[in-house]
Amino acid sequence: MASIALKSFVGLRQQVSTEKSHYFFTSQSQTKPPRKLKLQVLASKSSPRLTNRNLRVAVIGGGPAGGAAAETLAKGGIETYLIERKMDNCKPCGGAIPLCMVGEFDLPLDIIDRRVTKMKMISPSNVAVDIGQTLKPHEYIGMVRREVLDAYLRERAKDNGAEVINGLFLKMDVPKDGVSPYVLHYNGFDGKVGGVGEKRTLEVDAVIGADGANSRVAKAIDAGDYDYAIAFQERIKIPDDKMAYYEDLAEMYVGDDVSPDFYGWVFPKCDHVAVGTGTVTHKGDIKKFQLATRKRAKDKILGGKIIRVEAHPIPEHPRPRRLLGRVALVGDAAGYVTKCSGEGIYFAAKSGRMCAEAIVEGSENGKRMVDERDLRKYLEKWDKTYWPTYKVLDVLQKVFYRSNPAREAFVEMCADEYVQKMTFDSYLYKTVAPGNPLQDLKLAVNTIGSLVRANALKKEMDKLSV
Amino acid sequence: MSISLALFSPPTQPPLLFPSSPSTKPHLTLKPHLSLRPSKFLTTTKASAENGAGTSPTAATALEIQPDQKVAETPQQVVKKDESSVGVNGSAGAVETEEDKVLSQFVDPKWVVGTWDLSQFQKDGSTDWDAVIDAEARRRKWLEGNPETSSNDAPIVFDTSIIPWWAWIKRFHLPEAELLNGRAAMIGFFMAYLVDSLTGVGLVDQMGNFFCKTLLFVAVVGVLLIRKNEDLENLKKLLDETTFYDKQWQATWQDEKPGSSKN
Repeated sequence: MASIALKSFVGLRQQVSTEKSHYFFTSQSQTKPPRKLKLQVLASKSSPRLTNRNLRVAVIGGGPAGGAAAETLAKGGIETYLIERKMDNCKPCGGAIPLCMVGEFDLPLDIIDRRVTKMKMISPSNVAVDIGQTLKPHEYIGMVRREVLDAYLRERAKDNGAEVINGLFLKMDVPKDGVSPYVLHYNGFDGKVGGVGEKRTLEVDAVIGADGANSRVAKAIDAGDYDYAIAFQERIKIPDDKMAYYEDLAEMYVGDDVSPDFYGWVFPKCDHVAVGTGTVTHKGDIKKFQLATRKRAKDKILGGKIIRVEAHPIPEHPRPRRLLGRVALVGDAAGYVTKCSGEGIYFAAKSGRMCAEAIVEGSENGKRMVDERDLRKYLEKWDKTYWPTYKVLDVLQKVFYRSNPAREAFVEMCADEYVQKMTFDSYLYKTVAPGNPLQDLKLAVNTIGSLVRANALKKEMDKLSV
Repeated sequence: MSISLALFSPPTQPPLLFPSSPSTKPHLTLKPHLSLRPSKFLTTTKASAENGAGTSPTAATALEIQPDQKVAETPQQVVKKDESSVGVNGSAGAVETEEDKVLSQFVDPKWVVGTWDLSQFQKDGSTDWDAVIDAEARRRKWLEGNPETSSNDAPIVFDTSIIPWWAWIKRFHLPEAELLNGRAAMIGFFMAYLVDSLTGVGLVDQMGNFFCKTLLFVAVVGVLLIRKNEDLENLKKLLDETTFYDKQWQATWQDEKPGSSKN
């Protein structure tokens, strides 16, 4: 537009030659600045200042990721909306949190139902190994109920100034430019019981998608799909004398009968146990695996009553796109679940917080508009911090969940005190501490020994069938 | 997704786990007879699977004289029933009977309190480790077909590491050792010859050379890893597999350029 106006102006002046160069210059200067901006790293300094209001950010989903994100945003002076469909949602979930989460997120101790200090790993041939003997007295794995944890984190976000909306997010209109707001459409349920709720819209400057595996935000930004594992879990109320055994103990069963690529578990809950299993490759057989898990644990859960059956998808890897424009995905929606252990609560809460921190920083506490580069900082930091953890667990899963002999070797390896210390340290504190090189070497030799022995036996077993 | 999940959770799930202590007893009384069970068991299940569900009940009744086999066989049939009914209603009745009857346990006279009784494996005054390996392979094979409940009262204490390393070597490496050693020697000699002819460094001098030492190492590892032609393919697959997860993570960053230009 401007260039055309300029041209007519030039024509009036009738100074073709000089004005022509002027025209070129102006048109160049019009296209160039955004280009230059793109190459620059400092983002917020160039983005427009907001007048009369603070930055508005919507967090979709009120799980650990959403709750942590909303709290950080609200603390950072950003106008925060948290949209959650069901306030008392009791998500099927193992519910284990590492010790460092209690400190980092300042969780009150009463939301932890149980403190697990012993893990039992049980191999396909029923060799049981107790891990956790190396734990210090104050160390434990916390077992929480998700409905309690989620509600607590949401409540805290609210206390810090976030507005919690009970509503079902439907879709969002993505703006064409970098300053217009995103328009979110949702069904509001506030103050109503049942019914479809009323259709409402909300205008925000940025969106954090924390809405889990079937994320609608991810769909809206065309984030692509991930492979997922299906986890199946039964909550079983067992007699008190049996429950005493699970007081502070969790069990992991490995084997082809239980799951071809994951593990079966018995986790203690507040007054019952959760028995479950998961798989990626053989989803159709999950019922069979569940039966097998129950059978393997049979002696210990005898006389139990199933009070609840649940199943849910677990992402296997991050989505191809975790970020577009001013929309970022965190938690399960982004796919931040580790392999091998299938842990996600801590990583969800942490990613929500990290993303929120990036927005707070990029907007200078809500004073400026944010753009994709601000959010990219969150991704960069995330990948840098946690990529090694994810990779190590992926390697572990590939090596040790591969086959029954590998699982036997895994359990044999876990009997080693050094291994237990290392795994618990890295699980509880989420830092990979450098080990003792001599011990590492010993461990490597022993592990290879175990693998070779188990595979040799497997060879012999194959001969038997023929 | 959610629909299929809903199918998994029947609204009314009656208690599925019943005490099954009565069925422990027959096993104990039949102990001597059961020692032959693993192999026998395998053949009977095969037969019943071929017969199909229609005829298997009769097969079960015919075998009534051997109660242990009947017990072992019924779960197979019930599992079948259960799977077909799950789609409809998640019928709990089938699960119940299945849970009730199965208490199959590995029984062998030489398997004593969770380990192989080594005193029963003596041959000429020393332990016959080959027999132990055989026995353990048989036990694991059996467990694969009949996963058994883990128990705190009777823990499994057998650990394969009690079998000395030379027993493994003797059993699993020696048959192949001749071939591998021969191959390694041929490759080593040829490489030494090649290096000598190309560089003029003699065999003795090569030993002191870092490059040649590396070459030697590569040759040995290569001989160990690539034993058959398929191994090459397998190694390639393994490499793909190890980098697959990296690629899944990297996808976000490949997206960066088109993503930011759209913005």
